[in-house]
Amino acid sequence: MRKYFQIFKTHWQSSFIYRLNFIMWRVRTILQFFGVYFLWLAIFIGQDSVFDYSKSVMLTYVIGTAILRSFVFSSRSVSVGVEIANGDLNNYLVKPLSYLKNWLARDLADKLLNIIFLTVELFLIVLIIKPPIVAPISFSHLAIFFFAVILAMMMYFLFSFLISSFTFWYPEHNGWPLRFFIFMIIEFLAGGLFPLDILPAVAFKIFRFLPPAYLVFYPIQIYLGRLDFSQIVSTILIMLAWLLVLYKLSRIVWKKGLKIYGAYGR
Amino acid sequence: MPAISVTNLKKYYQVYKKEPGLSGSIKSLFNRKHEDVKAVNNISFSINEGELVGFIGPNGAGKTTTLKVLSGLLYPTSGQVSVLGFTPFDRQPEFQKQFSLVMGQKNQLWWDLPALDSFILNREIYEIPPVQFDKTLKNLVTMLDLKDVIKIQVRKLSLGQRMKCELVAALLHSPKVLFLDEPTIGLDVVMQKKIRDFIKQYNQKYQATIILTSHYMDDVKELCDRVIIIDNGQIFFDGALDKIIKKYADKKILEVTFSGPVVKKDFSIIKAAKIKHFNPPRVVFSVKRRSANQVAAKLLTKFSVADLNITESSIEDIIRQVFTGRDLS
Repeated sequence: MRKYFQIFKTHWQSSFIYRLNFIMWRVRTILQFFGVYFLWLAIFIGQDSVFDYSKSVMLTYVIGTAILRSFVFSSRSVSVGVEIANGDLNNYLVKPLSYLKNWLARDLADKLLNIIFLTVELFLIVLIIKPPIVAPISFSHLAIFFFAVILAMMMYFLFSFLISSFTFWYPEHNGWPLRFFIFMIIEFLAGGLFPLDILPAVAFKIFRFLPPAYLVFYPIQIYLGRLDFSQIVSTILIMLAWLLVLYKLSRIVWKKGLKIYGAYGR
Repeated sequence: MPAISVTNLKKYYQVYKKEPGLSGSIKSLFNRKHEDVKAVNNISFSINEGELVGFIGPNGAGKTTTLKVLSGLLYPTSGQVSVLGFTPFDRQPEFQKQFSLVMGQKNQLWWDLPALDSFILNREIYEIPPVQFDKTLKNLVTMLDLKDVIKIQVRKLSLGQRMKCELVAALLHSPKVLFLDEPTIGLDVVMQKKIRDFIKQYNQKYQATIILTSHYMDDVKELCDRVIIIDNGQIFFDGALDKIIKKYADKKILEVTFSGPVVKKDFSIIKAAKIKHFNPPRVVFSVKRRSANQVAAKLLTKFSVADLNITESSIEDIIRQVFTGRDLS
């Protein structure tokens, strides 16, 4: 355990070196947020409710997804593909170290850094644009929401790791083409731009069982109190099931990949 | 029991071939021709504890591939590999804590941090007790003269300094087996010598088993009593370095400086000697090993000689001869 804590710390130290990089990334996140926020604000002009969402609930949804996206979708494991393609993976494979846990530790470090900055940013945003934010309907909803977010982060991490593992078979361009294709779809299906339940009923019926819906959409639904007790239970169960599937799958693919690994770069 | 044993090891890669140019690229979209590359093709050897063995061979001979199989990075196509009684590809932590792989063209140090931070990370990864860590680090830093260097960001270090730090990072857990792949590549002669001395010292001090690959014959000459020559994925020679000289160098070199004027024709009386360089007053002959003394004696009696020197063919020449199959003289 201690070794992964050390990786966590080393990752932090290394992150602080690139101050400018870091600031630019934060600004990008904020701009992205403003884009979606003002779009929805415009839609609500002259009406109080759209698609069964009141203005304040929708704007809370938008702010919530912005926070969750910068959180859940911020996996450093994109580098896994690069390290497979250029052979840097060798450095880890010769050591008594789990490569998966190594990246989990680095991801956690990254996310903790996010929380700190996010808190400051959120404070400023609330101060400046005074958005109508809906409070969670109860403390237990808030607690379950946090639990769901942790599961969502794990799901995304494993999924990202799984996609990167395919670089063993297609090392060209560090595995980016596949990654780009898949993650465009995920962004859409996760409900980052709009709530999934405003889609046509048929589409929603399909998408609600796919993993992306559990990354952003469902956790926020829990926060907003739009799910009843049995729906919350089934949501958490489905998330746990997907988590297990993703874990098993990523392990299998990783092991198969290692057998054909070329350990390139000399 | 040998520290390393390899039996009938094969490692084939599949690569796809593309014809040159855009039309070739388009063709390869639809029809890819795969081909097996036999990087390592049925090699066997065994190495005892404390041995320092040199792997030599031209580029693409299979040296690095062999080291990668021994480190557990590559899955062998067939054959048995055992290092310290472990199967490398299982990558058991007990095995990984006892060996190290250093590649001259790859680095494990964190680029943006001082080397010391990477060392501390390795301390945790290899679970080295702090007391032992401090002692080993102090030792290595003194041996390699790195005192202030380890606190500077790695990206700001010179190649030589970085290579030394890489060695430290690889040795902190006191590995019993060490694979060094071109550890002196790109370094100047002074630094090469320093690294070389260090490797020798390390081998003797800790009785570590070391395999070293290098393109610099000096590395091999100075460090390794035993060499394994690999070419085309197969072992060409495995034995003591001076045995290659005996086996493949059946000629000796006579360097003579004459005190009077000489012409090429003068030497036609000595049948056994072939002229290698003719640059009077200095003439270099290549002579069959067993007639070297005779020829030397003849030269001394028939000519007025200022200086005469009998040497072995250089190891570079021999290796070149081995690989090209050409006669030296």
